[in-house]
Amino acid sequence: MRIKKTEPNHAEIDMTPMIDIVFQLIAFFMVISNFEQTQADERVRLPSDVLAQPPTVKPAHELVLNVGFVRDPEHGIPKQGPVVFHNSQFCRITDTDSPAEVLIYNRSAEQNQTIQTVPFAYRLEQEKRLFFDRGVNPAEEVTVIIRADTHVPTGLVQKLIQMSQEAFTGSDGSSQDGFAKFALKAEQTTDTQ
Amino acid sequence: MKFRNQKPVEKIEPQMAPMIDVVFLLLIFFMCTLKIISQEGDFNINMPAVAQAQTETPKLLPDFKVRLLADVASGQLIEVRFGQRSLGTGPRAFQLLQQTIKEQIAGSPYADEIEIEIDADFDLNYEHVISAVSACTGEVSGATTEGGRKKISRFVEKIKFAPPRQSQRAAVGG
Repeated sequence: MRIKKTEPNHAEIDMTPMIDIVFQLIAFFMVISNFEQTQADERVRLPSDVLAQPPTVKPAHELVLNVGFVRDPEHGIPKQGPVVFHNSQFCRITDTDSPAEVLIYNRSAEQNQTIQTVPFAYRLEQEKRLFFDRGVNPAEEVTVIIRADTHVPTGLVQKLIQMSQEAFTGSDGSSQDGFAKFALKAEQTTDTQ
Repeated sequence: MKFRNQKPVEKIEPQMAPMIDVVFLLLIFFMCTLKIISQEGDFNINMPAVAQAQTETPKLLPDFKVRLLADVASGQLIEVRFGQRSLGTGPRAFQLLQQTIKEQIAGSPYADEIEIEIDADFDLNYEHVISAVSACTGEVSGATTEGGRKKISRFVEKIKFAPPRQSQRAAVGG
């Protein structure tokens, strides 16, 4: 009997639908992952509340102040109190101009170390001037967004607000009012108590 | 001219394997970098500087005063007071605060004018202030909007802080 020789059959999988779907997934994840530069700081654990709804209108100019703790894994909240995280520096909420030392936990070195902090009043004034120089009126057009940790003493947040309100001298030598609009950030929860 | 031995048109088969490798890699990268962040909302507070505030016209209604007392060492809430009235502590106190303010405002023609002043102890943990602000400004009503979210009704828009108090913690030595 003669057997007809057949060529070995190459099973060819149709790749097209799979690639379609994979590309769609990629597009989805690209859209979802927001690369928007939010000034959120992970060291700040925001309090949560039901009524905290994202603002419908984004303020034209905003200054975000992160107040939190340099927590270390063993002790939790450090003794020296909260600091403001500002341009990768640690700032204390004081009016005085003397630098102070703060004991923080260094994650990479896994030990406590002392660092210098910068008083925040001076930095705030710089921020006010920066806004003023760009032609923005701090008192009317800028919203100060305060992202404070749950365990920050209220008095310090109030002090921070006071410092933000303080008048400053503009670059032209005139006296200008400080910030007047504030927004307190909280995490949105859906459960009602 | 005639071409002999013309080859049949060759089917070009693109190499799929490297492309799929890369595509999967991209997919995994985006899946891993995806961070699920809970939404952040905010409470607006209008606090002009002192000099400005003094020139304001006298108000028709006195401010509502909410006092928050704190435990000096831990910063935990001890008591919530509305005016002179004590409302106790914990989440129940904030519910009561919400009810009281709603009752006070209901039917008042000057509801838009009402301002609430929050006077908290220096050492009070910040989360309680947020709870108080939340209780003063609005509530979640039972009805849901089309988006499936709970509807929020707000009754007071103006919130301000009293001048900060002195910290007691240093005095105690904590």
